[in-house]
Amino acid sequence: MSDCQSLGDCDDSRISRIYEYLDGALSREDLADIKAHLEGCPDCAQEHDLECVIRSVVRRSCKEAAPENLKASILERIHGATTADLPG
Amino acid sequence: MAVEAQPAAAVEPIAAGDAVEPGAAGDAAEAAEAAVEPAEAAEGAVEPAAAAAVEAAIDPALESTDQRRARFERDAMQYVDQLYSAAMRMARNPSDAEDLVQEAYTKAFSAFHQYRPGTNLKAWLYRILTNTYINLYRKRQREPLQSNSDQIEDWQLARAESHTATGLRSAEAEALDHLPDSDVKDALQAIPEEFRLAVYFADVEGYAYKEISDIMDTPIGTVMSRLHRGRKMLRDMLGDYAKERGFGGTAAGNGSSSGKAATAAAAAATGQGPQGSKDQENRK
Repeated sequence: MSDCQSLGDCDDSRISRIYEYLDGALSREDLADIKAHLEGCPDCAQEHDLECVIRSVVRRSCKEAAPENLKASILERIHGATTADLPG
Repeated sequence: MAVEAQPAAAVEPIAAGDAVEPGAAGDAAEAAEAAVEPAEAAEGAVEPAAAAAVEAAIDPALESTDQRRARFERDAMQYVDQLYSAAMRMARNPSDAEDLVQEAYTKAFSAFHQYRPGTNLKAWLYRILTNTYINLYRKRQREPLQSNSDQIEDWQLARAESHTATGLRSAEAEALDHLPDSDVKDALQAIPEEFRLAVYFADVEGYAYKEISDIMDTPIGTVMSRLHRGRKMLRDMLGDYAKERGFGGTAAGNGSSSGKAATAAAAAATGQGPQGSKDQENRK
């Protein structure tokens, strides 16, 4: 995919760093380093953007509205019981 | 949207009660508590401080059932759509997803006196949902919880300011962006379930590794490994779908592994059952 080795010596570790970057799992120093790197490296920036697109596509696709009666039937069950006599 | 609005640092302990998972929950809650320093500051930024103070002042032990029910309806019922969306990734069909959400909410209400006001209610509900799914639908052996303090270190210090693309979109990214929702759901569904749920909680709900580890009752290293593998499978499969639809020509799926191979691998892993696919435990 790329010859850039700044974020790791293989695609796998490079993608790992980009995941961690997007996941908020890096120290501030690492975050700043990767941000700076992404600004100057089109290959890694493309990887980053691809991951952003995947996440947004997944978010978009997974948005479901619960059936209308679901909320009502939950409330019905809750009203039919006290906290004590429901199964734990 | 909700994901963006939730600061990564806003990790709150999931006050999972005994009713959810006796034995395992105690350690998890303690571990979460130890790691929760930034929560209050971040929460203050989201909610008015006064409201947070009122929340904290509620003593569930002194509530009447009616008061508790009113509080539950006010605070918990707003997440029905989100729980249903997650349940659809678990149960695979609308009817089972509905049952699952209903069961989870019933359990949540019965355990609501154990929920600590001011902590992350949605994550608490997700944990109950996940437990309910496992107990009702999977009956699988749960992994033993490892509450290892050195796993909870600097897992979560800073987050990239923006997840928006820089404009350097590749043809592959363009192609994936045009995939219909059904393809994306199919691709997710083809990923082994523990990978799929980790990806769902991270990428749809925006939860941090530690929060996912609480919700799924697995060590952080396992969460990271599942995320890494799940995302790679997803990426390969989406590339494959894009290719089949003729989006982006050869650009989609030009990675080192082909989408078809990933699909086959995922299907094989799914066939082996949830414990069959060996996570790389504790990568750190």
